[in-house]
Amino acid sequence: MKIVIGILQVLVLVLGAPLVRGIIARLKALLQRRRGASIWRPYSELFKLLRKEDLVPPTSSVVFRLAPIALFSATTCVAAFVPVVHPSALLASQGDFFLLVYLLALGRFFLSLGALDGGSAFGGMGASREALVSSLAEAPFLLGLAAVAILASHADIAGMVAWTLQQNVFNISAVHILAFTSLAMVFLAETGRMPVDNPTTHLELTMIHEGMVLEYSGPSLAIIEWASAIKLHALLALLIALFGPWGMALTDSPWKLAVASLFYCAKAGFLMALLSVIESAVAKLRMYLVPDFLGVASAVSALAVIFTVLVKR
Amino acid sequence: MQLVSIGMGFIFLLASLGLFAPVVLMMSQAKTTRVFAIALIVGSNVVGCFVAVLCFWRGSDAVVDLSRFTPFPFALGLDRLSAFFLLLICTVAVPVAIFAAAYFDRHYHEQRCNWMWAFFSLFLLSMIVVVTASTGFAFLVGWELMTLLSAGLILMEGDSAERRHNVFIYLLMMHAGAAAVVASFFLFLPYSHTLDFAAIRAASAGLPVGIRTAIFLLAFLGFGTKAGIIPLHLWLPRAHPIAPSPVSALMSGIMLKTAVYGFVRVAFDLLGSSPWWSGYVVLSVAAVTGILGILYAMAEHDLKRLLAYSSVENIGIIFLGLGTSLVFLAHDAPLGAALALVAALLHAFNHALFKSLLFLGAGAISNSTHSADLNELGGLQNRMPVTGAAILVGCCSIAGLPLFNGFVSEWLTFRSLLAGAALVGTKAQVILPLMVGILALIGGLAASCFVKTFGVSFLGRPRSAGAERAQEAPLGMRVGLLLLAAGCVCIGILPGLLLRPLVALVQGLVPGAGIPEETLSIARIIPWITVFVLGTGALVASFKRHKRMARTWACGLPDLSSRMEYTSTAFSKPIRFVFARVYRPDRRVDQLPGDQPYFPAFISYTYMRTTSYERVFYRPFVDFVVSLAYRLRRLQTGNIQVYLLYIFLALVSLLAFLRFQK
Repeated sequence: MKIVIGILQVLVLVLGAPLVRGIIARLKALLQRRRGASIWRPYSELFKLLRKEDLVPPTSSVVFRLAPIALFSATTCVAAFVPVVHPSALLASQGDFFLLVYLLALGRFFLSLGALDGGSAFGGMGASREALVSSLAEAPFLLGLAAVAILASHADIAGMVAWTLQQNVFNISAVHILAFTSLAMVFLAETGRMPVDNPTTHLELTMIHEGMVLEYSGPSLAIIEWASAIKLHALLALLIALFGPWGMALTDSPWKLAVASLFYCAKAGFLMALLSVIESAVAKLRMYLVPDFLGVASAVSALAVIFTVLVKR
Repeated sequence: MQLVSIGMGFIFLLASLGLFAPVVLMMSQAKTTRVFAIALIVGSNVVGCFVAVLCFWRGSDAVVDLSRFTPFPFALGLDRLSAFFLLLICTVAVPVAIFAAAYFDRHYHEQRCNWMWAFFSLFLLSMIVVVTASTGFAFLVGWELMTLLSAGLILMEGDSAERRHNVFIYLLMMHAGAAAVVASFFLFLPYSHTLDFAAIRAASAGLPVGIRTAIFLLAFLGFGTKAGIIPLHLWLPRAHPIAPSPVSALMSGIMLKTAVYGFVRVAFDLLGSSPWWSGYVVLSVAAVTGILGILYAMAEHDLKRLLAYSSVENIGIIFLGLGTSLVFLAHDAPLGAALALVAALLHAFNHALFKSLLFLGAGAISNSTHSADLNELGGLQNRMPVTGAAILVGCCSIAGLPLFNGFVSEWLTFRSLLAGAALVGTKAQVILPLMVGILALIGGLAASCFVKTFGVSFLGRPRSAGAERAQEAPLGMRVGLLLLAAGCVCIGILPGLLLRPLVALVQGLVPGAGIPEETLSIARIIPWITVFVLGTGALVASFKRHKRMARTWACGLPDLSSRMEYTSTAFSKPIRFVFARVYRPDRRVDQLPGDQPYFPAFISYTYMRTTSYERVFYRPFVDFVVSLAYRLRRLQTGNIQVYLLYIFLALVSLLAFLRFQK
């Protein structure tokens, strides 16, 4: 039964990912008093791209074609660590949050290589900037997760979630607030949202993620876009699971799981609304202010780790 | 029976590396004898691997005692720790020798080539002596030979003034380090009366605190110099890049590990327990070493210098594990100490594999393109597909990505740091978990650095005619590279193969340690992750993607040229900009003619990244030594009467000393 729930959770994260993008785009449009496209639009875009042909630069190598696959499978594997409706996950194991962060790094590694393989200046530009952002984001990411792990005395995400579920909602500690703050900042940086990166830009002066995928087209682009949507959804679900898991099903009964899914939808909807408000209200940071942004995240996450001492004595 | 075969195999290994191979090489210049000698070197190292594995299995000691022929006790023995490092040396030596067989022939004339192989063989022997020594004398003999032979191998490549200067710095720092190592061994003498390791171990419980502290610090300094911890790494980025590639692979892959071995042997085995603060000292030095090492690597565009700095970084990660282990030991937590030590030793093994792979790869690249400057490479993946695939595996491993071996050891280090949170009520409770952030920063920067390394050299368009005309590396080189790459993937996917024996080894060093749960859980989960990732990958790859060649969009220009691509220097610019305080570059812009600032005919731009502590640290020290030497010269008047006076004064003072001692 646990395996079935695990597989279902992965499927929800993977198949529901484009929907998350669609909803965020729609909410942003509404905030900007536009009508906006349908929330199902990302799916039709994926289908459209999958039917097209793949344009490959003649100078590129096998890495160019391999990179999207590596990115997709690494990101899907990340989704298999994240509890959605039940405090368990398909590949849950001790210390899996280190694996989660490093699998994201694996995907990014190959995407950057694919970008460099295109042979244009834009790919290099995107990869170089991504290198800066990602190498500085890793420390707050792991420190924030480590703080929660220490607090919960569990080294696996599912265990941390199960521990948090048993706590009183009103009994949250300073560690949770600090860790949430830093992880939310890292979330913005990792998924390439405002104020770190503008997901809708195609202006070479500002783009990071878009610069890397500029040379990709057709099915390859579809795979990349889907993978980055999965990353967005999985990290969103991770934030929900770690800091607001209440409402998750504690038993395997289908009825409880259905209720838990409703809870999940509500919480995800809230975070998506928050994200679209931030994206509409905040301007993109200048490239060299991003390290300061991540520096603040690192400091906050270090504080979170230090505060665990006060809580656990 | 097994004991006999272990002994015979070990003696065969020593004899063929130390005697047969060099003698055969010196006797004849014929190609067949050289091939025979190479086969002997490769074969004896394969035997060495079996000896090491057998020894591990039995967990008993095999000893070769030569004390009857030497002035001081000289004995070699194989306990589990020695066997592990013997395995490390022999495993790496086999592919490196296969690679070198193809490499040396192309780069050197007959006679030079034979000398190279003789030194190569003796260099391997000296490192084997270091890790299997069971007396201090044998250890120090091996230690010194190792330095001299590697310096000889560097000088055989050429003898320009710059090379000599670099070798001079190398020898100078090695001997300063060796002096510290010798001193740390000799401090045991008044208590153990002999340099036999067994006697030292027995006597170490009765050491006074002061002596114990001094031994620890001297060993850390001495072995740290050899390992290249910052700020004692000055020689490393100078000596490693100028050696021939297979020798760089041995120096970076294995020789640095002998320093790790020495530190583990002294700090964990011989000394028994270290001062309580020792772990924190090692941790802080390791953190600085790791971060600065990878930042300097990031700024390099010479492939071999980049790899040398990345060795500094990896030594930082290894010492992070060792420091954590010492902290756990100081707080009487043997389980955590065992975990951290396993992580450090595994990382030493992994680093030996992937760093020698990458150095050999650098050799294959410069063999094909005649350049090791990243800014002149590019587009090699289509021209050297097999070499490229092997180097890609090396880059993934060194970046610590899952499914490759570097990840396993970094994961274990992370887990041991996280386990520090359980030391409730101590400083370690905060310090160790905070180190997670440091290691994550190192890991993140390393990933970026090796995206740059592989992406700029192998992908995109060629940036020079040499890269344009590059050919696939010859068969011998490819076999060497692929063997090492296979090792990286094998440990990355099935870490249990090496973890189980390592746990057994560490349990011998850390008394009272059980089996750390973490080593079992990583061995259990990684194969599943592999299946999941590869399965998903296969599923996606099975989706048919129609391919059409189309030129990269060039913003309306006719076509892109390689000058429009990002170079290595451009790639690292954002990180160099953010960490400008660390690099402290010297920039100089010269315009000619100088009196016409608005119409310069010629502009030159020089960028020198001097290491700040070279100025802050070493310059005053060197100046001080030189001025002291000048002052001491006044004593050397050249006048015989004055020298007689010195002798007389020395005699009087000695007599006075003896008189007043009683």
